[in-house]
Amino acid sequence: MRVSTAAIAALAIAACAPAAPIASGPFRGAELDRPLPKPPLVFTDSHGQPFDLVQATADRVTLLFFGYTHCPDICPVHLANIAAVLDKLPDDVQREVTVVFVTTDPARDSLAVLDRWITGFDPRFIGLTGDSATIAEAQAQLGLIPARRTAAQERNHYGVGHATQVIAFTRDGLARVQYPFGTRQRDWAADIPKLVEFGRPPGAGTE
Amino acid sequence: MQWWCAATGEPWSWSWQWYPGVHLAVLVLGIVWYRLGRAQQWSSRPWGWFFTAVVALLATLDWPVGKLGAGYLASVHTLQFLLLTLLVAPALLRSIPADGWQRLATPGSRSFSALRFLAHALIALVAYDTLVVITHFPAVVDGAMQTQLGSFAIDLAWLVAGLLLWWPIAAPASLGRLGMFGKMGYLFAATIVPTIPAMMMVFSDWPLYELYELAPRVVTHFSANDDIKLAGLSMKLFGDIPLWIATAVVFFKGTAHTRRIAGA
Repeated sequence: MRVSTAAIAALAIAACAPAAPIASGPFRGAELDRPLPKPPLVFTDSHGQPFDLVQATADRVTLLFFGYTHCPDICPVHLANIAAVLDKLPDDVQREVTVVFVTTDPARDSLAVLDRWITGFDPRFIGLTGDSATIAEAQAQLGLIPARRTAAQERNHYGVGHATQVIAFTRDGLARVQYPFGTRQRDWAADIPKLVEFGRPPGAGTE
Repeated sequence: MQWWCAATGEPWSWSWQWYPGVHLAVLVLGIVWYRLGRAQQWSSRPWGWFFTAVVALLATLDWPVGKLGAGYLASVHTLQFLLLTLLVAPALLRSIPADGWQRLATPGSRSFSALRFLAHALIALVAYDTLVVITHFPAVVDGAMQTQLGSFAIDLAWLVAGLLLWWPIAAPASLGRLGMFGKMGYLFAATIVPTIPAMMMVFSDWPLYELYELAPRVVTHFSANDDIKLAGLSMKLFGDIPLWIATAVVFFKGTAHTRRIAGA
């Protein structure tokens, strides 16, 4: 199950290479020079229902992350940190944010496993699975290095090297900022309200 | 292989790991203590105190506590601090009998002056508090725990801090400076400054230490925020209780002594 450090490091470095050049702006995360559209793909949520990524997250800030529930390091840290920060942000900011986790290990991450794991961080988080082609296509459209299994020491005991950044879509459906592993809670706390405010017409506050 | 527990960023594993530096340090301590006792012909060997110190030292620095504290959980890091300063250090001081201290510090010698100087409450308190505050600065912890030498330095600093803290209480009469009420006031004062880092851990909006915030989780849904709060609460609660107990012991010993003198 354990992922070799070298494999993770190599993949993380490759995966952290942005799909588009990084610009400097108001965000602490790495801004993309060329925003990328949300992949128009349909997944299956952890309750077994179809989940159209574009429709279901329309007009919302969406934090998208690819990983797997057996991940021993990066996935639980990212998700726990986002959950902790959201919990402390004002309700009107929390309401505008959807966190979507797409498994890169659909073979082991059954709906029940995925649901129990993702809601353990925050009941509002959404866990998605799908066929390997859909998951691979989503990563490709976002310019991520595709996830891949590392050699198994025993049957079903393998790691999955995957992109380590969380991709933030603003409410217009475009990926504008990415957050590599190492992003701290204070960075999330600074950026999430800015992501929520991004593109909002002046004077248009939340309820 | 590491010689001393330090953060690696690797996922946590329950497989045992050997840290030769820890075992070497305990071995050297044992040899020094045994040879010192023989050379000074101690009237008694406080085996119980020495055994307590060695077992607590091993439990604190060796796998798994040492590894968990060095790179995974701030709460375990705090447990190490508490064990080193509040158990290992006083047990080590008590593992040398009074006649041993007298031979180590004969009146008029440099060691006598130094040990008597360190028995001064204000000196000990300032030194202890300074070490506690410095070794809990986020920049210091995040930097030091990434290397074996840095992690070793933090552990050593905590042991030294503990020795400094307890010396005014444990010093034999010839070297000590404090009476019963002085010791009680000193022990109370020792609970004040560590409250600062402890409360920062509890009340900080975000985890204080980057190292523990981004460390691979040992228990999936035990978050870095819960961990740091537990660390702060433990530091305050379990840091104060032994000092309160020590205060009570000093009081009851002192009053019993006074009664004996009055009865004589």
